[in-house]
Amino acid sequence: MIYESTLYKIVRYVFLVLASVFVLVPLVPLVFMAFKSGREMQETSVLTPPSNWLNFYNFGYAIEKGHLIKAFIITAIILVISLTIQILLTCMVSYVLHRFDFKLKKVVRTAFTLTMFIPVVATQTLIFRMMHAVKLVNTMWSVVILYSGVGIVGIYIMLNLLDNVTREIDEAAWIDGATFPYTFWNIVFPLMKPGCTTLLIIQGIALYNDFYIPNLYLNRDVQTFTIALYKFYGSMSTPFEIVSAAIIIGMIPILIVFIALQKYIYSGIAAGAVKM
Amino acid sequence: MKEKDRTKLIFIASFLILPVLHLIIFSYVPIIGNLIVSFTDWKGFGDMNFVGIRNYKRLFTNTEYISMFKNCLWYLLAAIPQLVFAFFLAVVINGKFRGLNIFKGILILPYLLNGVIVSTIFIIFFQNSGSLNAILEMLHLNGLQHKWLQDLKIVNPSIASISIWRYYGMNFIMFFGALQNIPTELYEAAVIDGCTKMQEIRYISIPFIKRVLFINIILSISGSIQVFEIPYIMLNGSNGTLTPVIQIQQSMYDNRVGFAAALSVLVFVIVMIVITAQRLLVKDD
Repeated sequence: MIYESTLYKIVRYVFLVLASVFVLVPLVPLVFMAFKSGREMQETSVLTPPSNWLNFYNFGYAIEKGHLIKAFIITAIILVISLTIQILLTCMVSYVLHRFDFKLKKVVRTAFTLTMFIPVVATQTLIFRMMHAVKLVNTMWSVVILYSGVGIVGIYIMLNLLDNVTREIDEAAWIDGATFPYTFWNIVFPLMKPGCTTLLIIQGIALYNDFYIPNLYLNRDVQTFTIALYKFYGSMSTPFEIVSAAIIIGMIPILIVFIALQKYIYSGIAAGAVKM
Repeated sequence: MKEKDRTKLIFIASFLILPVLHLIIFSYVPIIGNLIVSFTDWKGFGDMNFVGIRNYKRLFTNTEYISMFKNCLWYLLAAIPQLVFAFFLAVVINGKFRGLNIFKGILILPYLLNGVIVSTIFIIFFQNSGSLNAILEMLHLNGLQHKWLQDLKIVNPSIASISIWRYYGMNFIMFFGALQNIPTELYEAAVIDGCTKMQEIRYISIPFIKRVLFINIILSISGSIQVFEIPYIMLNGSNGTLTPVIQIQQSMYDNRVGFAAALSVLVFVIVMIVITAQRLLVKDD
Protein backbone atom coordinates (compact mmCIF):
# COMPACT_ATOMS: atom_id res chain seq x y z
CA MET A 1 0.00 0.00 0.00
CA ILE A 2 1.37 3.35 -1.01
CA TYR A 3 1.30 6.09 1.59
CA GLU A 4 -0.64 9.14 0.48
CA SER A 5 -0.74 12.43 2.36
CA THR A 6 -4.09 13.90 3.38
CA LEU A 7 -3.42 16.91 1.18
CA TYR A 8 -2.93 14.65 -1.85
CA LYS A 9 -6.16 12.81 -1.08
CA ILE A 10 -8.06 16.11 -0.98
CA VAL A 11 -6.43 17.38 -4.17
CA ARG A 12 -7.32 14.10 -5.86
CA TYR A 13 -11.00 14.34 -4.96
CA VAL A 14 -11.22 17.99 -6.00
CA PHE A 15 -9.60 17.20 -9.32
CA LEU A 16 -11.80 14.17 -9.98
CA VAL A 17 -14.98 16.03 -9.07
CA LEU A 18 -14.03 18.92 -11.37
CA ALA A 19 -13.23 16.46 -14.17
CA SER A 20 -16.60 14.75 -13.70
CA VAL A 21 -18.34 18.14 -13.85
CA PHE A 22 -16.45 18.84 -17.09
CA VAL A 23 -17.76 15.55 -18.52
CA LEU A 24 -21.33 15.84 -17.27
CA VAL A 25 -22.16 19.54 -17.79
CA PRO A 26 -22.64 19.31 -21.57
CA LEU A 27 -24.85 16.23 -21.06
CA VAL A 28 -27.28 17.76 -18.57
CA PRO A 29 -29.28 19.99 -20.99
CA LEU A 30 -29.65 17.02 -23.34
CA VAL A 31 -31.31 14.98 -20.60
CA PHE A 32 -33.50 17.96 -19.63
CA MET A 33 -34.62 18.52 -23.22
CA ALA A 34 -35.61 14.91 -23.81
CA PHE A 35 -38.40 15.32 -21.23
CA LYS A 36 -39.60 18.79 -22.24
CA SER A 37 -42.61 19.59 -24.37
CA GLY A 38 -42.24 21.73 -27.49
CA ARG A 39 -43.78 24.68 -25.69
CA GLU A 40 -41.51 24.31 -22.71
CA MET A 41 -38.53 24.33 -25.07
CA GLN A 42 -39.50 27.76 -26.34
CA GLU A 43 -40.36 29.24 -22.98
CA THR A 44 -37.58 27.93 -20.74
CA SER A 45 -33.79 28.16 -20.75
CA VAL A 46 -31.72 25.10 -21.67
CA LEU A 47 -30.59 24.94 -18.06
CA THR A 48 -34.11 24.68 -16.63
CA PRO A 49 -35.15 21.15 -15.68
CA PRO A 50 -38.34 19.82 -17.31
CA SER A 51 -41.59 20.33 -15.43
CA ASN A 52 -42.59 16.71 -15.85
CA TRP A 53 -39.91 14.01 -15.65
CA LEU A 54 -42.44 11.41 -16.77
CA ASN A 55 -43.11 13.00 -20.13
CA PHE A 56 -42.03 10.18 -22.46
CA TYR A 57 -43.78 11.59 -25.52
CA ASN A 58 -40.48 12.55 -27.20
CA PHE A 59 -39.09 9.05 -26.82
CA GLY A 60 -42.11 7.42 -28.44
CA TYR A 61 -42.10 9.97 -31.24
CA ALA A 62 -38.35 9.46 -31.86
CA ILE A 63 -38.65 5.67 -32.00
CA GLU A 64 -41.54 5.86 -34.44
CA LYS A 65 -40.42 8.66 -36.76
CA GLY A 66 -36.69 7.91 -36.63
CA HIS A 67 -37.16 4.23 -37.53
CA LEU A 68 -34.81 3.57 -34.65
CA ILE A 69 -35.85 -0.03 -34.02
CA LYS A 70 -35.20 -1.02 -37.63
CA ALA A 71 -31.85 0.79 -37.52
CA PHE A 72 -30.97 -0.97 -34.30
CA ILE A 73 -31.69 -4.40 -35.77
CA ILE A 74 -29.62 -3.62 -38.87
CA THR A 75 -26.73 -2.42 -36.70
CA ALA A 76 -26.93 -5.60 -34.62
CA ILE A 77 -26.85 -7.80 -37.75
CA ILE A 78 -23.91 -5.91 -39.22
CA LEU A 79 -21.96 -6.07 -35.97
CA VAL A 80 -22.61 -9.74 -35.26
CA ILE A 81 -21.59 -10.85 -38.76
CA SER A 82 -18.56 -8.64 -39.18
CA LEU A 83 -17.20 -9.02 -35.65
CA THR A 84 -17.49 -12.81 -35.87
CA ILE A 85 -15.66 -12.92 -39.19
CA GLN A 86 -13.08 -10.36 -38.17
CA ILE A 87 -12.22 -12.02 -34.85
CA LEU A 88 -12.09 -15.53 -36.31
CA LEU A 89 -9.86 -14.41 -39.16
CA THR A 90 -7.62 -12.48 -36.78
CA CYS A 91 -7.13 -15.64 -34.69
CA MET A 92 -6.39 -17.70 -37.79
CA VAL A 93 -3.89 -15.25 -39.29
CA SER A 94 -2.13 -14.76 -35.97
CA TYR A 95 -1.92 -18.50 -35.33
CA VAL A 96 -0.34 -19.15 -38.71
CA LEU A 97 2.07 -16.21 -38.37
CA HIS A 98 3.06 -17.27 -34.87
CA ARG A 99 3.45 -21.03 -35.26
CA PHE A 100 4.60 -21.72 -38.81
CA ASP A 101 7.54 -20.82 -41.01
CA PHE A 102 6.85 -20.38 -44.67
CA LYS A 103 8.25 -18.57 -47.65
CA LEU A 104 6.16 -15.41 -47.71
CA LYS A 105 5.77 -15.05 -43.94
CA LYS A 106 7.77 -11.83 -43.72
CA VAL A 107 5.94 -10.32 -46.67
CA VAL A 108 2.52 -11.13 -45.19
CA ARG A 109 3.46 -9.76 -41.78
CA THR A 110 4.87 -6.57 -43.23
CA ALA A 111 1.82 -6.14 -45.43
CA PHE A 112 -0.42 -6.19 -42.36
CA THR A 113 1.90 -3.92 -40.37
CA LEU A 114 2.06 -1.31 -43.11
CA THR A 115 -1.72 -0.84 -43.01
CA MET A 116 -1.24 1.37 -39.97
CA PHE A 117 0.16 3.93 -42.40
CA ILE A 118 -3.02 3.84 -44.46
CA PRO A 119 -5.83 6.01 -43.12
CA VAL A 120 -9.26 4.55 -43.97
CA VAL A 121 -10.36 7.97 -45.20
CA ALA A 122 -7.62 7.98 -47.82
CA THR A 123 -8.77 4.76 -49.46
CA GLN A 124 -12.50 5.23 -49.85
CA THR A 125 -12.42 7.25 -53.06
CA LEU A 126 -11.70 4.16 -55.10
CA ILE A 127 -13.36 1.60 -52.82
CA PHE A 128 -16.58 3.55 -53.27
CA ARG A 129 -16.26 3.18 -57.05
CA MET A 130 -15.58 -0.57 -56.63
CA MET A 131 -18.60 -1.04 -54.37
CA HIS A 132 -20.65 0.98 -56.80
CA ALA A 133 -19.52 -1.22 -59.70
CA VAL A 134 -20.59 -4.42 -57.93
CA LYS A 135 -23.85 -2.76 -56.80
CA LEU A 136 -23.21 -3.08 -53.08
CA VAL A 137 -23.67 0.61 -52.25
CA ASN A 138 -26.81 1.09 -50.14
CA THR A 139 -26.75 -2.50 -48.98
CA MET A 140 -25.39 -3.55 -45.63
CA TRP A 141 -22.96 -5.95 -47.30
CA SER A 142 -20.64 -3.12 -48.34
CA VAL A 143 -20.25 -2.20 -44.68
CA VAL A 144 -19.99 -5.83 -43.53
CA ILE A 145 -17.22 -6.51 -46.06
CA LEU A 146 -15.25 -3.42 -45.06
CA TYR A 147 -15.61 -4.24 -41.36
CA SER A 148 -14.48 -7.85 -41.79
CA GLY A 149 -10.82 -7.15 -42.52
CA VAL A 150 -8.04 -8.18 -40.15
CA GLY A 151 -6.34 -5.25 -38.43
CA ILE A 152 -2.82 -5.00 -37.16
CA VAL A 153 -3.84 -4.14 -33.57
CA GLY A 154 -5.80 -7.39 -33.39
CA ILE A 155 -2.84 -9.36 -34.75
CA TYR A 156 -0.53 -7.79 -32.14
CA ILE A 157 -2.90 -8.69 -29.33
CA MET A 158 -3.14 -12.30 -30.52
CA LEU A 159 0.60 -12.72 -31.19
CA ASN A 160 1.29 -11.47 -27.68
CA LEU A 161 -1.19 -13.94 -26.29
CA LEU A 162 0.25 -16.84 -28.30
CA ASP A 163 3.69 -16.10 -26.84
CA ASN A 164 2.26 -17.39 -23.58
CA VAL A 165 0.71 -20.53 -25.09
CA THR A 166 3.46 -23.12 -25.27
CA ARG A 167 4.22 -24.75 -28.62
CA GLU A 168 4.39 -28.12 -26.91
CA ILE A 169 0.60 -28.21 -26.85
CA ASP A 170 0.48 -28.12 -30.66
CA GLU A 171 3.34 -30.57 -31.06
CA ALA A 172 1.82 -33.07 -28.66
CA ALA A 173 -1.42 -32.95 -30.62
CA TRP A 174 0.41 -33.46 -33.93
CA ILE A 175 2.30 -36.46 -32.55
CA ASP A 176 -1.02 -37.91 -31.44
CA GLY A 177 -2.11 -37.66 -35.07
CA ALA A 178 -4.28 -34.56 -34.89
CA THR A 179 -4.59 -32.62 -38.13
CA PHE A 180 -3.56 -28.96 -38.34
CA PRO A 181 -7.14 -27.66 -38.44
CA TYR A 182 -8.16 -29.92 -35.55
CA THR A 183 -5.24 -28.70 -33.44
CA PHE A 184 -6.16 -25.09 -34.08
CA TRP A 185 -9.92 -25.31 -33.56
CA ASN A 186 -9.99 -27.69 -30.62
CA ILE A 187 -6.78 -26.99 -28.77
CA VAL A 188 -5.29 -23.54 -29.44
CA PHE A 189 -8.35 -21.48 -30.37
CA PRO A 190 -10.11 -22.04 -27.01
CA LEU A 191 -6.98 -20.67 -25.32
CA MET A 192 -7.21 -17.48 -27.41
CA LYS A 193 -10.51 -16.43 -25.83
CA PRO A 194 -9.10 -13.61 -23.67
CA GLY A 195 -7.71 -11.98 -26.82
CA CYS A 196 -11.07 -12.40 -28.52
CA THR A 197 -12.80 -10.63 -25.63
CA THR A 198 -10.36 -7.72 -25.85
CA LEU A 199 -10.81 -7.43 -29.59
CA LEU A 200 -14.58 -7.75 -29.27
CA ILE A 201 -14.66 -4.78 -26.89
CA ILE A 202 -12.34 -2.52 -28.88
CA GLN A 203 -13.90 -3.28 -32.24
CA GLY A 204 -17.44 -3.49 -30.90
CA ILE A 205 -17.25 0.06 -29.56
CA ALA A 206 -15.44 1.32 -32.66
CA LEU A 207 -17.87 -0.23 -35.14
CA TYR A 208 -21.03 0.61 -33.22
CA ASN A 209 -19.90 4.22 -33.14
CA ASP A 210 -18.45 4.39 -36.65
CA PHE A 211 -19.88 7.16 -38.76
CA TYR A 212 -17.60 7.52 -41.77
CA ILE A 213 -18.19 4.17 -43.48
CA PRO A 214 -21.97 3.83 -42.98
CA ASN A 215 -22.47 7.48 -43.89
CA LEU A 216 -20.68 6.85 -47.17
CA TYR A 217 -22.29 3.54 -48.07
CA LEU A 218 -25.72 3.52 -46.46
CA ASN A 219 -27.91 6.36 -47.56
CA ARG A 220 -31.42 5.15 -48.15
CA ASP A 221 -33.52 2.45 -46.52
CA VAL A 222 -30.72 0.58 -44.83
CA GLN A 223 -29.27 2.62 -41.98
CA THR A 224 -27.18 1.88 -38.94
CA PHE A 225 -28.18 3.44 -35.66
CA THR A 226 -25.58 6.20 -36.00
CA ILE A 227 -26.84 7.11 -39.45
CA ALA A 228 -30.49 7.01 -38.41
CA LEU A 229 -29.63 9.49 -35.66
CA TYR A 230 -27.74 11.65 -38.12
CA LYS A 231 -30.53 11.71 -40.71
CA PHE A 232 -32.97 12.51 -37.99
CA TYR A 233 -30.85 15.32 -36.74
CA GLY A 234 -29.94 16.58 -40.18
CA SER A 235 -33.52 17.17 -41.22
CA MET A 236 -34.10 20.68 -39.94
CA SER A 237 -37.73 20.02 -39.16
CA THR A 238 -36.88 17.68 -36.29
CA PRO A 239 -37.12 19.62 -33.03
CA PHE A 240 -34.28 19.37 -30.53
CA GLU A 241 -36.34 17.72 -27.80
CA ILE A 242 -37.04 14.80 -30.14
CA VAL A 243 -33.40 14.53 -31.21
CA SER A 244 -32.35 14.57 -27.55
CA ALA A 245 -34.71 11.70 -26.78
CA ALA A 246 -33.36 9.75 -29.78
CA ILE A 247 -29.80 10.33 -28.57
CA ILE A 248 -30.59 9.07 -25.10
CA ILE A 249 -32.08 5.94 -26.66
CA GLY A 250 -28.85 5.59 -28.68
CA MET A 251 -26.78 5.79 -25.52
CA ILE A 252 -28.67 2.99 -23.75
CA PRO A 253 -27.03 0.03 -25.56
CA ILE A 254 -23.59 1.49 -24.92
CA LEU A 255 -24.32 2.00 -21.24
CA ILE A 256 -25.67 -1.55 -20.88
CA VAL A 257 -22.58 -3.00 -22.53
CA PHE A 258 -20.41 -0.76 -20.42
CA ILE A 259 -21.99 -1.82 -17.14
CA ALA A 260 -21.85 -5.49 -18.15
CA LEU A 261 -18.24 -5.40 -19.31
CA GLN A 262 -16.77 -2.59 -17.19
CA LYS A 263 -14.14 -4.95 -15.79
CA TYR A 264 -12.81 -5.71 -19.27
CA ILE A 265 -13.21 -2.32 -20.91
CA TYR A 266 -10.34 -0.51 -19.22
CA SER A 267 -7.86 -3.36 -19.67
CA GLY A 268 -9.19 -4.13 -23.15
CA ILE A 269 -8.83 -0.65 -24.55
CA ALA A 270 -5.46 -0.18 -22.89
CA ALA A 271 -4.21 -3.48 -24.34
CA GLY A 272 -5.32 -2.54 -27.83
CA ALA A 273 -3.87 0.92 -27.63
CA VAL A 274 -0.53 0.16 -26.03
CA LYS A 275 0.30 -2.43 -28.68
CA MET A 276 0.54 0.26 -31.35
CA MET B 1 7.36 -36.09 -45.29
CA LYS B 2 6.51 -34.52 -48.64
CA GLU B 3 2.83 -35.25 -48.05
CA LYS B 4 2.99 -33.62 -44.61
CA ASP B 5 4.63 -30.48 -46.03
CA ARG B 6 1.94 -30.22 -48.65
CA THR B 7 -0.92 -30.44 -46.16
CA LYS B 8 0.89 -27.87 -44.05
CA LEU B 9 1.13 -25.46 -46.95
CA ILE B 10 -2.51 -25.98 -47.83
CA PHE B 11 -3.43 -25.32 -44.22
CA ILE B 12 -1.38 -22.10 -44.08
CA ALA B 13 -2.76 -20.88 -47.40
CA SER B 14 -6.36 -21.62 -46.42
CA PHE B 15 -6.00 -19.60 -43.21
CA LEU B 16 -4.38 -16.65 -44.94
CA ILE B 17 -6.20 -16.40 -48.25
CA LEU B 18 -9.27 -14.38 -47.21
CA PRO B 19 -7.58 -11.80 -44.95
CA VAL B 20 -4.75 -11.28 -47.43
CA LEU B 21 -7.18 -10.81 -50.32
CA HIS B 22 -9.14 -8.33 -48.22
CA LEU B 23 -5.93 -6.50 -47.42
CA ILE B 24 -4.91 -6.26 -51.07
CA ILE B 25 -8.32 -5.23 -52.39
CA PHE B 26 -9.24 -2.74 -49.68
CA SER B 27 -5.90 -1.29 -48.67
CA TYR B 28 -3.21 -1.65 -51.31
CA VAL B 29 -5.20 -1.44 -54.54
CA PRO B 30 -6.93 1.80 -53.44
CA ILE B 31 -3.67 3.43 -52.34
CA ILE B 32 -1.87 2.63 -55.58
CA GLY B 33 -5.02 3.38 -57.57
CA ASN B 34 -5.35 6.74 -55.84
CA LEU B 35 -1.87 7.66 -56.88
CA ILE B 36 -2.67 6.90 -60.53
CA VAL B 37 -6.12 8.52 -60.53
CA SER B 38 -4.76 11.64 -58.81
CA PHE B 39 -2.97 12.55 -62.06
CA THR B 40 -6.18 12.31 -64.09
CA ASP B 41 -9.50 14.11 -64.42
CA TRP B 42 -11.52 10.93 -63.78
CA LYS B 43 -15.13 11.53 -62.79
CA GLY B 44 -15.70 8.05 -61.37
CA PHE B 45 -17.09 6.87 -64.69
CA GLY B 46 -16.24 7.31 -68.37
CA ASP B 47 -12.86 8.37 -69.71
CA MET B 48 -9.73 9.02 -67.74
CA ASN B 49 -7.48 11.78 -69.12
CA PHE B 50 -3.99 12.40 -67.85
CA VAL B 51 -3.73 15.96 -66.53
CA GLY B 52 -0.29 15.89 -64.91
CA ILE B 53 -0.03 17.62 -61.55
CA ARG B 54 -3.06 19.87 -62.09
CA ASN B 55 -4.99 18.41 -59.13
CA TYR B 56 -2.05 18.88 -56.79
CA LYS B 57 -1.36 22.36 -58.08
CA ARG B 58 -4.95 23.32 -57.30
CA LEU B 59 -4.53 22.02 -53.74
CA PHE B 60 -1.48 24.12 -53.08
CA THR B 61 -2.60 27.34 -54.75
CA ASN B 62 -6.28 27.72 -53.93
CA THR B 63 -6.60 29.62 -50.62
CA GLU B 64 -9.76 27.70 -49.68
CA TYR B 65 -7.84 24.44 -49.76
CA ILE B 66 -4.88 25.86 -47.90
CA SER B 67 -7.16 27.13 -45.15
CA MET B 68 -8.59 23.65 -44.57
CA PHE B 69 -5.12 22.47 -43.61
CA LYS B 70 -4.82 25.48 -41.33
CA ASN B 71 -8.07 24.39 -39.66
CA CYS B 72 -6.36 21.16 -38.69
CA LEU B 73 -3.90 23.17 -36.62
CA TRP B 74 -6.69 24.14 -34.21
CA TYR B 75 -7.29 20.46 -33.52
CA LEU B 76 -3.60 19.93 -33.00
CA LEU B 77 -3.56 22.84 -30.54
CA ALA B 78 -6.52 21.34 -28.65
CA ALA B 79 -4.53 18.12 -28.28
CA ILE B 80 -2.12 19.83 -25.85
CA PRO B 81 -4.60 20.50 -23.00
CA GLN B 82 -6.24 17.18 -23.89
CA LEU B 83 -3.05 15.20 -23.25
CA VAL B 84 -2.15 17.17 -20.12
CA PHE B 85 -5.63 16.67 -18.67
CA ALA B 86 -5.65 12.95 -19.56
CA PHE B 87 -2.22 12.46 -18.01
CA PHE B 88 -3.03 14.05 -14.65
CA LEU B 89 -6.33 12.23 -14.55
CA ALA B 90 -4.52 8.93 -15.05
CA VAL B 91 -2.03 9.82 -12.30
CA VAL B 92 -4.68 10.64 -9.69
CA ILE B 93 -6.93 7.72 -10.51
CA ASN B 94 -4.06 5.26 -10.25
CA GLY B 95 -4.61 4.14 -6.66
CA LYS B 96 -7.21 2.66 -4.37
CA PHE B 97 -9.79 4.96 -2.85
CA ARG B 98 -13.49 5.30 -2.20
CA GLY B 99 -15.54 6.08 -5.29
CA LEU B 100 -12.84 4.92 -7.72
CA ASN B 101 -15.24 2.90 -9.86
CA ILE B 102 -17.83 5.67 -10.05
CA PHE B 103 -15.21 8.13 -11.28
CA LYS B 104 -13.87 5.55 -13.74
CA GLY B 105 -17.40 5.08 -15.08
CA ILE B 106 -18.11 8.78 -15.51
CA LEU B 107 -14.74 9.65 -16.98
CA ILE B 108 -14.88 7.01 -19.73
CA LEU B 109 -18.35 8.06 -20.86
CA PRO B 110 -17.35 10.49 -23.67
CA TYR B 111 -15.09 7.85 -25.23
CA LEU B 112 -18.11 5.56 -25.65
CA LEU B 113 -20.28 8.09 -27.51
CA ASN B 114 -20.36 8.36 -31.29
CA GLY B 115 -19.81 11.45 -33.41
CA VAL B 116 -23.50 12.18 -33.96
CA ILE B 117 -24.23 12.10 -30.23
CA VAL B 118 -21.22 14.27 -29.41
CA SER B 119 -22.13 16.75 -32.16
CA THR B 120 -25.69 17.12 -30.91
CA ILE B 121 -24.54 17.56 -27.33
CA PHE B 122 -22.28 20.39 -28.42
CA ILE B 123 -24.76 22.03 -30.76
CA ILE B 124 -26.95 22.37 -27.68
CA PHE B 125 -23.94 23.59 -25.73
CA PHE B 126 -22.65 26.16 -28.24
CA GLN B 127 -25.77 27.44 -30.00
CA ASN B 128 -26.79 31.06 -29.42
CA SER B 129 -29.39 30.21 -26.80
CA GLY B 130 -27.38 27.18 -25.67
CA SER B 131 -25.96 26.14 -22.33
CA LEU B 132 -22.61 27.90 -22.60
CA ASN B 133 -24.20 31.31 -23.11
CA ALA B 134 -26.80 30.52 -20.43
CA ILE B 135 -24.08 29.59 -17.96
CA LEU B 136 -22.17 32.79 -18.76
CA GLU B 137 -25.32 34.79 -18.16
CA MET B 138 -25.90 33.05 -14.85
CA LEU B 139 -22.39 34.03 -13.80
CA HIS B 140 -23.04 37.63 -14.95
CA LEU B 141 -20.35 37.30 -17.60
CA ASN B 142 -22.56 38.48 -20.47
CA GLY B 143 -19.54 40.17 -22.05
CA LEU B 144 -18.08 36.75 -22.80
CA GLN B 145 -21.13 35.51 -24.69
CA HIS B 146 -20.53 34.78 -28.36
CA LYS B 147 -22.17 33.27 -31.37
CA TRP B 148 -19.81 30.35 -30.97
CA LEU B 149 -20.80 28.52 -34.15
CA GLN B 150 -21.42 31.51 -36.41
CA ASP B 151 -18.63 33.94 -35.65
CA LEU B 152 -16.01 33.06 -38.26
CA LYS B 153 -13.19 34.05 -35.93
CA ILE B 154 -14.09 31.60 -33.17
CA VAL B 155 -15.98 28.79 -34.84
CA ASN B 156 -12.87 26.67 -35.43
CA PRO B 157 -11.43 26.96 -31.91
CA SER B 158 -14.94 26.33 -30.55
CA ILE B 159 -15.46 23.05 -32.36
CA ALA B 160 -11.81 22.02 -32.03
CA SER B 161 -12.21 22.27 -28.25
CA ILE B 162 -14.90 19.58 -28.47
CA SER B 163 -12.20 17.09 -29.38
CA ILE B 164 -10.72 17.57 -25.91
CA TRP B 165 -13.97 16.35 -24.37
CA ARG B 166 -14.43 13.60 -26.90
CA TYR B 167 -10.96 12.09 -27.11
CA TYR B 168 -9.22 12.65 -23.77
CA GLY B 169 -10.70 9.32 -22.60
CA MET B 170 -8.62 7.36 -25.10
CA ASN B 171 -5.39 9.03 -23.93
CA PHE B 172 -6.46 8.66 -20.32
CA ILE B 173 -6.96 4.90 -20.61
CA MET B 174 -3.63 4.46 -22.38
CA PHE B 175 -1.79 6.46 -19.70
CA PHE B 176 -3.65 4.63 -16.96
CA GLY B 177 -2.74 1.24 -18.47
CA ALA B 178 0.91 2.24 -18.65
CA LEU B 179 0.99 3.64 -15.11
CA GLN B 180 -0.43 0.40 -13.73
CA ASN B 181 2.59 -1.44 -15.05
CA ILE B 182 4.95 0.57 -12.85
CA PRO B 183 6.03 -1.57 -9.88
CA THR B 184 4.65 -0.18 -6.60
CA GLU B 185 8.05 -0.70 -4.92
CA LEU B 186 9.31 2.33 -6.81
CA TYR B 187 6.65 4.53 -5.26
CA GLU B 188 7.27 3.02 -1.83
CA ALA B 189 10.96 3.81 -2.14
CA ALA B 190 10.09 7.33 -3.22
CA VAL B 191 7.93 7.82 -0.12
CA ILE B 192 10.72 6.54 2.15
CA ASP B 193 13.12 8.97 0.48
CA GLY B 194 10.66 11.77 1.18
CA CYS B 195 9.67 12.59 -2.40
CA THR B 196 6.73 14.90 -3.01
CA LYS B 197 3.94 13.78 -5.32
CA MET B 198 5.21 16.14 -8.04
CA GLN B 199 8.70 14.64 -7.77
CA GLU B 200 7.20 11.18 -8.02
CA ILE B 201 5.43 12.18 -11.22
CA ARG B 202 8.51 13.85 -12.63
CA TYR B 203 11.05 11.10 -11.83
CA ILE B 204 8.99 7.89 -11.84
CA SER B 205 5.72 8.22 -13.75
CA ILE B 206 6.85 10.26 -16.75
CA PRO B 207 10.04 8.31 -17.57
CA PHE B 208 8.14 5.03 -17.26
CA ILE B 209 5.35 5.95 -19.63
CA LYS B 210 7.47 7.91 -22.10
CA ARG B 211 6.73 5.49 -24.91
CA VAL B 212 2.98 5.68 -24.41
CA LEU B 213 3.17 9.45 -24.08
CA PHE B 214 4.94 9.53 -27.40
CA ILE B 215 2.38 7.26 -29.08
CA ASN B 216 -0.36 9.58 -27.84
CA ILE B 217 1.35 12.63 -29.29
CA ILE B 218 1.70 10.89 -32.64
CA LEU B 219 -1.94 9.74 -32.57
CA SER B 220 -3.00 13.32 -31.91
CA ILE B 221 -1.01 14.65 -34.84
CA SER B 222 -2.23 12.02 -37.29
CA GLY B 223 -5.75 12.40 -35.88
CA SER B 224 -5.84 16.13 -36.42
CA ILE B 225 -5.11 15.78 -40.13
CA GLN B 226 -8.01 13.32 -40.38
CA VAL B 227 -10.64 15.39 -38.56
CA PHE B 228 -14.03 14.72 -40.06
CA GLU B 229 -17.03 13.90 -37.90
CA ILE B 230 -17.54 16.93 -35.66
CA PRO B 231 -17.25 19.71 -38.29
CA TYR B 232 -19.10 17.57 -40.85
CA ILE B 233 -22.02 16.63 -38.62
CA MET B 234 -22.33 19.98 -36.84
CA LEU B 235 -21.82 22.38 -39.71
CA ASN B 236 -21.31 20.29 -42.86
CA GLY B 237 -17.93 21.99 -43.21
CA SER B 238 -19.53 25.39 -43.69
CA ASN B 239 -18.55 28.66 -41.91
CA GLY B 240 -14.91 28.03 -42.75
CA THR B 241 -14.75 24.70 -40.90
CA LEU B 242 -13.79 22.63 -43.93
CA THR B 243 -11.20 19.90 -43.32
CA PRO B 244 -9.31 17.76 -45.85
CA VAL B 245 -11.43 14.66 -45.21
CA ILE B 246 -14.71 16.58 -45.59
CA GLN B 247 -13.37 17.91 -48.88
CA ILE B 248 -12.45 14.39 -50.04
CA GLN B 249 -16.02 13.29 -49.47
CA GLN B 250 -17.56 16.35 -51.11
CA SER B 251 -15.34 15.96 -54.17
CA MET B 252 -16.36 12.31 -54.42
CA TYR B 253 -20.03 13.27 -54.41
CA ASP B 254 -19.33 16.00 -56.98
CA ASN B 255 -17.73 13.36 -59.25
CA ARG B 256 -14.32 15.01 -58.98
CA VAL B 257 -12.69 11.67 -58.24
CA GLY B 258 -9.28 12.74 -59.60
CA PHE B 259 -9.13 15.67 -57.22
CA ALA B 260 -10.43 13.57 -54.27
CA ALA B 261 -7.69 11.06 -55.03
CA ALA B 262 -5.00 13.74 -55.02
CA LEU B 263 -6.20 15.01 -51.64
CA SER B 264 -6.32 11.41 -50.32
CA VAL B 265 -2.73 10.90 -51.43
CA LEU B 266 -1.70 14.06 -49.61
CA VAL B 267 -3.43 12.99 -46.35
CA PHE B 268 -1.86 9.55 -46.71
CA VAL B 269 1.62 11.02 -47.17
CA ILE B 270 1.25 13.28 -44.13
CA VAL B 271 0.06 10.41 -41.91
CA MET B 272 2.87 8.23 -43.24
CA ILE B 273 5.52 10.84 -42.42
CA VAL B 274 4.17 11.27 -38.89
CA ILE B 275 4.07 7.53 -38.16
CA THR B 276 7.48 6.93 -39.73
CA ALA B 277 8.89 9.67 -37.52
CA GLN B 278 7.43 7.88 -34.50
CA ARG B 279 8.96 4.55 -35.51
CA LEU B 280 12.38 6.10 -36.07
CA LEU B 281 12.36 8.13 -32.87
CA VAL B 282 11.15 5.22 -30.74
CA LYS B 283 13.89 3.00 -32.12
CA ASP B 284 16.47 5.56 -31.08
CA ASP B 285 15.33 5.25 -27.50
